[in-house]
Amino acid sequence: MRSRLWLVLVAAALVLAACGNDSEAPSTAAQAPAATTSCASNGELTMWERSGGNKQMVDMLVEAWNTKNPNCKVKLTYIPHTEMVGKIAQGIASGEVPDLMGMDLIYAPQFEKAQQLVDLTDRISTWPELKTASKGHMTVATFENRLYGVPLYADVSALFYNKDLFKRAGLDPDKPPTSLAEMRAYADKITALGGDIKGYYLPGNCAGCNIFTVGPLMWASGAKIEAAGPGDEPLVGDGVKQVLQFTRDMVKAGNVHEGDRTENGETFHLQFGSGKVGMMGTGNFNITLARQQNPKMDFGIALLPGVAPNSSASFIGGDLVVVPKGSDRVDDAVNFMKFLLSDEVQVEVYAKALNLTTRADMVENKYFEAEPLVQDVAKALTVGRTPYTLTFFEQINSPQGPWLKMLQRAYYSDDNLDTVIADAKAAMKSIASQ
Amino acid sequence: MYWGRRSRLTGIAYLAPAVLFVLAFTAYPLARMVWMSFHSWSLITPPSWVGLGNYRRAFADDQFWVSFAFTLKYTAIITPILIVGGYLLALLCSPGSPLRRLTRTLVFVPVVIGLGVSSLLWYWLFSTDFGLINRALLDLGVISKPVLWLGVDADLSNLAITTSVVWKVIGFGMILFVGAIQAIPTEIHEASLVDGAGHWQRVTRVILPLTLRTVLVVTLVSVIGSLLAFDQFYIMTAGQPQNETATSVFYVYLNSFPYLRLGYGAALSMILALTILVFTVVQLLLTRRSHA
Repeated sequence: MRSRLWLVLVAAALVLAACGNDSEAPSTAAQAPAATTSCASNGELTMWERSGGNKQMVDMLVEAWNTKNPNCKVKLTYIPHTEMVGKIAQGIASGEVPDLMGMDLIYAPQFEKAQQLVDLTDRISTWPELKTASKGHMTVATFENRLYGVPLYADVSALFYNKDLFKRAGLDPDKPPTSLAEMRAYADKITALGGDIKGYYLPGNCAGCNIFTVGPLMWASGAKIEAAGPGDEPLVGDGVKQVLQFTRDMVKAGNVHEGDRTENGETFHLQFGSGKVGMMGTGNFNITLARQQNPKMDFGIALLPGVAPNSSASFIGGDLVVVPKGSDRVDDAVNFMKFLLSDEVQVEVYAKALNLTTRADMVENKYFEAEPLVQDVAKALTVGRTPYTLTFFEQINSPQGPWLKMLQRAYYSDDNLDTVIADAKAAMKSIASQ
Repeated sequence: MYWGRRSRLTGIAYLAPAVLFVLAFTAYPLARMVWMSFHSWSLITPPSWVGLGNYRRAFADDQFWVSFAFTLKYTAIITPILIVGGYLLALLCSPGSPLRRLTRTLVFVPVVIGLGVSSLLWYWLFSTDFGLINRALLDLGVISKPVLWLGVDADLSNLAITTSVVWKVIGFGMILFVGAIQAIPTEIHEASLVDGAGHWQRVTRVILPLTLRTVLVVTLVSVIGSLLAFDQFYIMTAGQPQNETATSVFYVYLNSFPYLRLGYGAALSMILALTILVFTVVQLLLTRRSHA
């Protein structure tokens, strides 16, 4: 009996001690060492990234880290873009997660809300680098005032135009269109050149390509597209109908190749470099690609316009770096983030490769100064935005979603545009309310 | 008694690996799918019990039934092509045929290629801007402008995908038919020749009845394969135009992974599995009757 009592007392003391420890435990932030751009501990770090993104850029960033930190190299695994969300979810469900992940930024809020990413607020929110970090990225890296990631790379959309075709059509190659009306007038002139030349490009079967390039035309015209959540109204503003009318007119006027209807994203990146398109919404990644594809082609970059003269907008896409819950190497994951945002990496890796810097204050650098096209496309960061919704895939990106259906009806049918918009609006609201 | 127990244990030991394999990779996943179909589960949040909610939702989901109807239509189109085409090719490969070796090789080679790879190959061949098919037809003067094969017109998309699948799998049925035809005893062929049967009569009165069981087996395999069609549609059209070429499995995939509605996807899978089970039972009954 005495021994039992003794055991109970010891157990009670241990429980009390444990409770006491809990209540006095310092916060995670206090425990965490200050971030550096080097290893916190030795051993390989695992990282997942989507293969459909800016692979070349990510390879360079990881290589730069690995060179600087040979004792804690990042081992990068690419996952097909279309399988990334499912793969991350499976990893989380099974507890088999990497130490850090590159994540298509538009899907971040969904995982943040589900509390599957490590809350980094206490570790990184005071970093001065974040004051100038890409606003689009930081918006979706934040959920209920908590921070979950930093930019990995940025893809922005802009209007690419073929200066050779502008000259042939009698247009001033240094004066790109500044409104939808001008874009239509210029496209008519370029299409009139005949042959296989068309003034404009619309990816008819690719939801993601369209939110990247047609979405900004709506934003620039004062419209709102996605429903953020239950009760939120999507497709608001006259700009939606005005842009749909503009695109329908472009198609009907023959300013778009008929084959564009089948574009599902597979050859989207090759279209401008073909030299057969006068103007096209595409991304900064197309600067290098178009040059490789068509070295003799002279082209310029302007901001995607809206209805009003000199209005403009852009889609800020790309990836975030986040830390999934269950990561064993949070300190080094944070150090990797610090490394990405450092002045040296911003200039000597991002800018040197002619990729956008993820900090606005690093846009002025020696590499961009020698490359006017990158300077032009970098302006898109100042007018860009990133949609914020928990159901982006279903509302916008899905080939079965209401966004693509609305666009296809607008481009290729004679359906009443008010009906087309009303149908899409109802479908988006229904998805957002689930 | 001792030997009986020992041999029983030996038998169990031999069976154990296979039984464990089936339990781990068939029974457990199936049971898990049934469990999932009664839950709402996004993988990134804990599952919650919804009872028959997912099934009720499926029966009220127009898009699911549209995809189901399209899958049945696709099955109805492609199955006869694979059976009749495979059988005719098998006849070309019958002993004595001068085209035997060439036909066997050319037709069977695509069978060993993965369906995803062959779908990607045909996607590029049918590409409007970069495809060889349009280029060849334009050069031959058959068409005056590129044909929009994929994702614009449902029937044209279906035709293009059916072509790619026939190219890919027709050799499988052909090889089964070749085996069945060659298994017919030589005496029966000789007897029909003695009776004065011509080539057509031998095919319809001798070969076909004696290979009917294989025809039913190939039909069963083709029907199940078509009802489960996914890769070719996912790669070549992604369900376009406007979901008109979305198959049932494609719809299950969309819900389960990109939309992260695993429970709903499981319920849709169960409905599909039961449909296939019905087809299979009917086919097996027919097969048994033909055997009898």
